[in-house]
Amino acid sequence: MKFSKLVLVAFVSSVFLFSCSDNNDNNDMPLGSYDNGTLILNQGGFLKGNASVSYLSEDVLTQQNNIFSLVNPTITLGDTGQDVGLYQNFAFIVLNGSNKIEVVNRYTMEHVATVSTGLKNPRYIAFSNGKGFVTNWGDGGSATDDYVAVLNLSTYAVSSTIPVAEGPEKIVETNNKLYVAHQGGYGYGKTISVINAITNTLSTTINVGDVPNSLTINSGSLYVICGGKPSYAPVQTAGSLVKINVADNVVSNTINFATATHPSNLVINDDAVFYTVGSSIFKSSLSATVLPTTPLFTTTAQGVYGVYSFAVNNNKFYVGDAGDYNSNGKIYVYSSSGQLEHDYTVGVIPAGFYFN
Amino acid sequence: MTLKKYFAFCLLLLCQYICAQQDTIIKLEEVLISDHQLKDFSDSQSVSKLTDSVIVKNRTSLTSLLNYNSVIYFKENGLGMVSSPSFRGTTAQQTAVIWNGININSQLNGQTDFNTLSAKDFNSVSIRSGGGSAIYGSSAMGGSVHLNTDLSFVNKFDNTIQVNYGSFNTLAVNYKVKMAVANFSTQISVSHISSDNDYAYLDTDKKNENGQFENTSLNVSLGYKIDSKNSLKFYSYLFDGDRHFSGTLAAPSQSKYLDLNSRNLLEWSGHNDKVKSNLKLAFLSEKYTYFENAATSVFSYGSAKTLTSKYDLLYKINAKIELNSILDYTHTRGLGSDIGKNDRETASGVLLLKHKLFSDFLYEIAVRKEISNVYASPVLFSVGTNYSPFSFYQFKINGSRNFRVPTFNDLYWQGSGNLELKPESSYQLEVGHAFAFKNTTLSITNYYSKIQDLILWSPSANGNWRPNNIGKVSTYGAEILFNYSKKSAKNKLDFTATYAYTISEDEVKKKQLIYVPFHKFTASLAYSIDKFTAHYQYLYNGKVFTSSDNFYSLNDYLVSNLGINYQVGKKKFLQVGFDILNLFNENYQSVSMRPLPGRNYSINLIFNF
Repeated sequence: MKFSKLVLVAFVSSVFLFSCSDNNDNNDMPLGSYDNGTLILNQGGFLKGNASVSYLSEDVLTQQNNIFSLVNPTITLGDTGQDVGLYQNFAFIVLNGSNKIEVVNRYTMEHVATVSTGLKNPRYIAFSNGKGFVTNWGDGGSATDDYVAVLNLSTYAVSSTIPVAEGPEKIVETNNKLYVAHQGGYGYGKTISVINAITNTLSTTINVGDVPNSLTINSGSLYVICGGKPSYAPVQTAGSLVKINVADNVVSNTINFATATHPSNLVINDDAVFYTVGSSIFKSSLSATVLPTTPLFTTTAQGVYGVYSFAVNNNKFYVGDAGDYNSNGKIYVYSSSGQLEHDYTVGVIPAGFYFN
Repeated sequence: MTLKKYFAFCLLLLCQYICAQQDTIIKLEEVLISDHQLKDFSDSQSVSKLTDSVIVKNRTSLTSLLNYNSVIYFKENGLGMVSSPSFRGTTAQQTAVIWNGININSQLNGQTDFNTLSAKDFNSVSIRSGGGSAIYGSSAMGGSVHLNTDLSFVNKFDNTIQVNYGSFNTLAVNYKVKMAVANFSTQISVSHISSDNDYAYLDTDKKNENGQFENTSLNVSLGYKIDSKNSLKFYSYLFDGDRHFSGTLAAPSQSKYLDLNSRNLLEWSGHNDKVKSNLKLAFLSEKYTYFENAATSVFSYGSAKTLTSKYDLLYKINAKIELNSILDYTHTRGLGSDIGKNDRETASGVLLLKHKLFSDFLYEIAVRKEISNVYASPVLFSVGTNYSPFSFYQFKINGSRNFRVPTFNDLYWQGSGNLELKPESSYQLEVGHAFAFKNTTLSITNYYSKIQDLILWSPSANGNWRPNNIGKVSTYGAEILFNYSKKSAKNKLDFTATYAYTISEDEVKKKQLIYVPFHKFTASLAYSIDKFTAHYQYLYNGKVFTSSDNFYSLNDYLVSNLGINYQVGKKKFLQVGFDILNLFNENYQSVSMRPLPGRNYSINLIFNF
């Protein structure tokens, strides 16, 4: 046991010895085994404690599972991996079921610290003004105890909390401001909280469509995909794409989706806008006033029953397939035109792609 | 109905009862039982019975009793937490629990949590392997567990107090009184158990947090013989449980779960030479309350109330042929924070025939049809034979069709429930051999079962989880039950072993179902010499898969318990005992990430007066 661990450490560190500049260009010397590639967070089953991290090389030809436990064999990553935040040399892995964040070196996966107090049902993380901001549901059944935790990035301790509306989910930052999408937790939200990263306070709330599930900043604007209330809600509503001017936090444009259409997974890349509906990937543009009716491509040939996770990088599409949510999931990599190029079996419920 | 059951008769016809207990001698007394089909219409299947003396030696929970003494596999979310059975490779909803002849599986989730029944409240627990839906209704697919209180009418006034105190500040107390005169009999049992349940997780620096539990149960049984032909019985079982749900190795928990279940049954029986008739009225209620955070008042709940009336008529056409009909009407109302308020009505008719064609050959047939206002049910049947060419050997064949009806959760869960669901159903065939010699009984049963329309919850394209009749499973395997017991003037030896080999294959994925071990083996050895008794229990559970692609698995485990008892004084007034549980300190989990306790201890005192 100990011998094999030694061998492993030797293997990992021999690669690590090459570390040089903190420049993260594609052709630089790798900062660690997992530099210049993609980290994949596998959520794992709820209460099964089998969250894991997989790695995919930049050329998409080499893939490796369980890299966290490979490098840190004595540490259980945790239960229900929800998000990974990349900041400086670190990856912050948010474990929803374990109420903790594991901080690792993003290039070597070596464990740095554990944030285990001050979090309750943590969801997503963003960084601003030298601090981490983590959305927390509190008790899922309580609509009044939700908050954003402020994380001190030198001590890795939660320094304060900011109470917010129910079900804070994804969070993005721009210019010392944080935008928090209230997907709604067990209910259905329809707001964005704006947090001042200097004072750690809630500065305003923006009304958007029902169930804002993904958001991204692009040239001075915040774009939000609202999924709408699903078919199993008491009243179903359609999704919408909302544009907000971050200078004054005012909604400048809203495009509604067709009836019973529930988009998610918003990505903006250059001027192209990508999102998914069920198992279809759509492409639009920032200037479009009407949404496309036919998808760029679909994943149905791969048997993907609803895209679980989605990312766009270097003109390639990355799709995570949770399968039956119990077995190991799969990831698919598609070309810019939607041709399947690679597929790999990863851990249970691939929940996100993070590009190193 | 009054049934005269004599020991000789039991040996002759019911030697498939593998008596896993110290005292194999069944007293020569007349007893009233409620679940008469268990004895009258189970000749072509395997039934094993655990009696008082086995129950008393085991820990309080029904999980522990059955885990160490039967082929049923259990997964337990930590000691005392939710406990689900798998019988012959089936799901937890495919094992029926029958209390005094009444099916008490939850109407909400279709299964029985075996940690919400206190084994010590019953004086007989029987395990009936294989399909039993034609007689017992929903869920009797893998088999059924029968909890009975036998009422006897021999003058007595017996009191027993049993106190166990053990590791993790676990205190279990049971008081039982049996009182009977010629025409009146009562048995009352009260149990209480509480435990801090904060055992260390072996090989870690963690312990079982938020696992404390306590529960109280009351079992009251009354029998009154109105005259030589008529009798009245009343049974009532109340269970009140308060459990904090422990966390896992990776996820802390603050939750709490309350159970409040009551089962009440009033029964009139009348008989003459040819006819025995019996009318039952049962009222069952169940309620759970779940607090995600025990420190807050935010909770969700579900409840169901069931009213059943059942008329059972047994007609002896002649000495060889018995015909039995059962008519049943049941009304259930489910109410809960996630299932709204819904009613279900079902009516069923059952026809049973037993024909002793020759002195050594009988066959039995059961047919059931149920109608419901919610779902359509198939015609269920059971056909079996028992051939006993030698006094020591019986050959049994049974084929049956069985079902499990959709639960209130399956049908009505807000946003997910599916009103189009059909019952799950299975065809099953089994062949059994039972041997009974002077000191030894052995039974070997092979079975094959095909389950279709399995209700599985799976995510749809919009991410919503819904139940659908999409699963197909084949299960097959073998069960072996063995008992050897020998008694001399001062010594007594009893050895019981069970083994189950189980294949349970998802026909779509061609993989073994999760949490079904290929092998399960139990053994118990009890030896008493004069006033000393020592007993040893052994449980081996093979490896199980924990993911449907069979990629993830849990290791096999082997757990042993050792106990000694000493009887103080000449009469059986006081027995003092000491148990070492998990003797070899095995680090094991029956559910992934939820370790079970290492070596722990218990002392027990039994007062009889």
